[in-house]
Amino acid sequence: MSAEIAARNLTVSYQAVDGRGLHALGPINFTIQPGEFVSFVGPSGSGKSTLIRVVAGLVNPTEGGVWLDETPVTAPSPRVALMFQEANLLPWRTVTDNIALPLELAGVAKKERTAAALALLPRLGLDCPTSYPAELSGGMAQRVALGRVLIQKPDVLLLDEPFGALDALTRERLSQDLIHMWEHDRQTVMMVTHDIHEAVMLSDRIIVLSRRPGQVIADIRVSIPRPRAQEDAYSTAFGDIALLVRSAIERA
Amino acid sequence: MMRKAVMVLAAVVMIALGVTVTMAQETSDQTLFLTFVPNIQFSPFYVAIEKGYFAEAGFNVTIEHGDEPIGVDLIASGSRQFGIISGEQVIAARANGRPVVYVYQWFHQFPVAIVATENSGIESIADLAGRRVGLPGRFGASYSGLIATLSANGMTEGDLSLQEIGFNAPEVICIGGVEAAAVYVNNEPLQIQNRIDAGDCGSVTGIRVFPVSDYAAVVSNGLVTNEQTITENPELVGAMVGAIDQAVRDVLNNPAEAYLMSAAYVEGLPLSDDFRAWLEAESASASERGDASPLESVVYNQALRDALVDVSDRDAALQFEILLNTAALWANDPLGYTDPAAWETTAQTLITMGFLDEAPDLSGAFTNDFLPQIP
Amino acid sequence: MQAVKNLQSVQMRPRKPAFRRAWLSWIGIVSVIALWQIVVWLRVYPEFIIPPPISVVERFWEALADGTLWLHTSTTVSQMLAGLLFGVVSAVILGTLIGKSRALEALLSPLIVAVQSTPVVAYAPLLVIWFGSGPTSKIVTSALIVFFPMLLNTMIGIRSVPVMMHDLMRSLHATRWQTFRMVEVPYALPVLLGGLKVSATLAVIGAVVGEFVMADAGLGRLINQARFSFDTPLVLVAVITLAAIARFMYGMISVLERRLLFWQRRQ
Repeated sequence: MSAEIAARNLTVSYQAVDGRGLHALGPINFTIQPGEFVSFVGPSGSGKSTLIRVVAGLVNPTEGGVWLDETPVTAPSPRVALMFQEANLLPWRTVTDNIALPLELAGVAKKERTAAALALLPRLGLDCPTSYPAELSGGMAQRVALGRVLIQKPDVLLLDEPFGALDALTRERLSQDLIHMWEHDRQTVMMVTHDIHEAVMLSDRIIVLSRRPGQVIADIRVSIPRPRAQEDAYSTAFGDIALLVRSAIERA
Repeated sequence: MMRKAVMVLAAVVMIALGVTVTMAQETSDQTLFLTFVPNIQFSPFYVAIEKGYFAEAGFNVTIEHGDEPIGVDLIASGSRQFGIISGEQVIAARANGRPVVYVYQWFHQFPVAIVATENSGIESIADLAGRRVGLPGRFGASYSGLIATLSANGMTEGDLSLQEIGFNAPEVICIGGVEAAAVYVNNEPLQIQNRIDAGDCGSVTGIRVFPVSDYAAVVSNGLVTNEQTITENPELVGAMVGAIDQAVRDVLNNPAEAYLMSAAYVEGLPLSDDFRAWLEAESASASERGDASPLESVVYNQALRDALVDVSDRDAALQFEILLNTAALWANDPLGYTDPAAWETTAQTLITMGFLDEAPDLSGAFTNDFLPQIP
Repeated sequence: MQAVKNLQSVQMRPRKPAFRRAWLSWIGIVSVIALWQIVVWLRVYPEFIIPPPISVVERFWEALADGTLWLHTSTTVSQMLAGLLFGVVSAVILGTLIGKSRALEALLSPLIVAVQSTPVVAYAPLLVIWFGSGPTSKIVTSALIVFFPMLLNTMIGIRSVPVMMHDLMRSLHATRWQTFRMVEVPYALPVLLGGLKVSATLAVIGAVVGEFVMADAGLGRLINQARFSFDTPLVLVAVITLAAIARFMYGMISVLERRLLFWQRRQ
């Protein structure tokens, strides 16, 4: 399952501590097709995270709005799952219990939710169901966080720099695993990243945002066929798109 | 742990140094230990300082206040040479190895009384049986005074319903919490009577006062020193006793003057301009009259008390009346004399209260040898 | 065989320092007693001021045998526990509310700071007058002295939850109660238990201060009684019993801490 995301005239302003308004984002317009993988890149402070939080229903827009299959987003939707840069695991819960958290909150019985979490472990590449977060490496913790997202069977995945805190090698392996899972499930994905290489490798489209207040300054289609492999990174097409994205960011 | 041990060691060294320093103190500086807080009842010590009696005897006196057990231990260990301590504390302290000696009886009459409301129908000590009787707690003078009184009437504390009420007898009696209470004879009865007069004491219409001294001779507060000072410096003890004796005599003779002199020592002692003028006039006429014997003074002071009715400063009048009542408890002939029989009674009371297991050896607990006029 | 040996060596390693620590703390206690005995031998103070350890031990057995010590200890302990319970429960409730509302904090914090900076001995006599000489006044004193550190720790604990965690719980449609129970309370627990450790020892002080003012029974009362009958060994027996109670409470909460915060040790 997947869903269409549409942002129309979306604008966000914050009330700063000193009382002055801070125009963070927009006005912004875009549409993401069901099952599409779209990355958002841009300089720091371009409001990328704010954008993700609006789509997640955590921040209300000042003007305009976001529509999920033509339904306006006003609160967190059960069809949408969110993943952060930090794993944000609960340190007193085991891997299984952390993954099962969304089901527990939804009132699913202990037996069922544990079974669902255990069933996910092989796909996540985890084999430590009873470990605690403090015993996990950064990559493993992020895999648990991914599991906590997948168990919700969401139609939309919102990924806020999901691999930003990991080392290059772990990052690459995790993004490969993510793309394999996505190719299987085909949810709509909105990902914020700083990494152009990662954006090109994973996305169908890359939207470049300007400096604050963030606005769309480029919308680049990645026409590299799927399934993609690491070797594709050395193709001319890949290099051309990466260069296009980079120059757009530099103009931002 | 290591640090803890070092700290303990340091503390011990400091205590040891402190003791050495106190031991080496010149006798020209004396600290007089008093219980409670600065109070008009301590006026003889203020008078002795103001009139230079201590200075004439060759020493400066600083007054300090603390609770009685601390005072006993300071004197017993030689950190202090003198203090005002009650007789029963001297007996209990000596029974526990503290070499303190009572050398001058300040209060001739034990200052505790049992006060009962008129409404209660309590007309004698025997009537207390089965009644709710308050006392500050099972310690100190009020407790021993009550027990001595009960014993003298063939009763025990089990005959009463005793309530520990702290030093709040006036409030508790006025709200009907108890029907009677062990109190200081010179203080609380006055306060309760004042409240009754002001219509501020609930349904209580009057009080009856049963002074402990009517039933049993119990040793009260007096000047206490340690055996070491008596052995090594008997002149000092004699001089201290002499100075205090003179001051007690003066307060009895001229309480108005004593009140005026105490104002500098007792914070918040009420003294309006009118009352000061009144005291100064009374002080002058007392000086003119000249020295009277302590017992004669009590009679003169009765007239002063009657004259207080006309004083407009009621707070000051109350404090002055407390002084007059207190001074009346000191009067004896000769001043300062302590009666061996009273020590036996006090020791018996302590045994009854369970503070002592057996009759103590009272020889050495007190002496009349330092009195200026040996009886 | 080899495997068994390895297992043993793995198990022994972490236990050794714990053993050594236990020994060291005993050595500490023994040295203090030894130092005490030396002070007595040197006659720094007369024996009625610092009695020898052995006479305190003898007095301890005596007070234990005649039931005095048990009577006063049980009174103090029950008052302390009641005070601790009331103080902690009310502080955690109010601390949670203040921790979640800046407005409530602004309203109450001047009051809280004012009362907190007043030493308990200053208001203990008032509490005895207001609440009577029975156990109530001691429980109130104890609860009050426990209240403030606990309140502060609860506030800090509740606020220690990362913003991201709140976002996560909101995105998962958690109810307020779920967020409180599953995130805020566990996050606050380390600080809360730290506060409880301090509070448990303070609760003993609170009860004893009340007993010092006026009481029918309790170790504070026993100390006063012993002082007024010049029974210095009994004073020390009561003081040492108080120290032991405080140490025991501290130990119990440490055990609780290890149980509840198992996930911290793994870090």
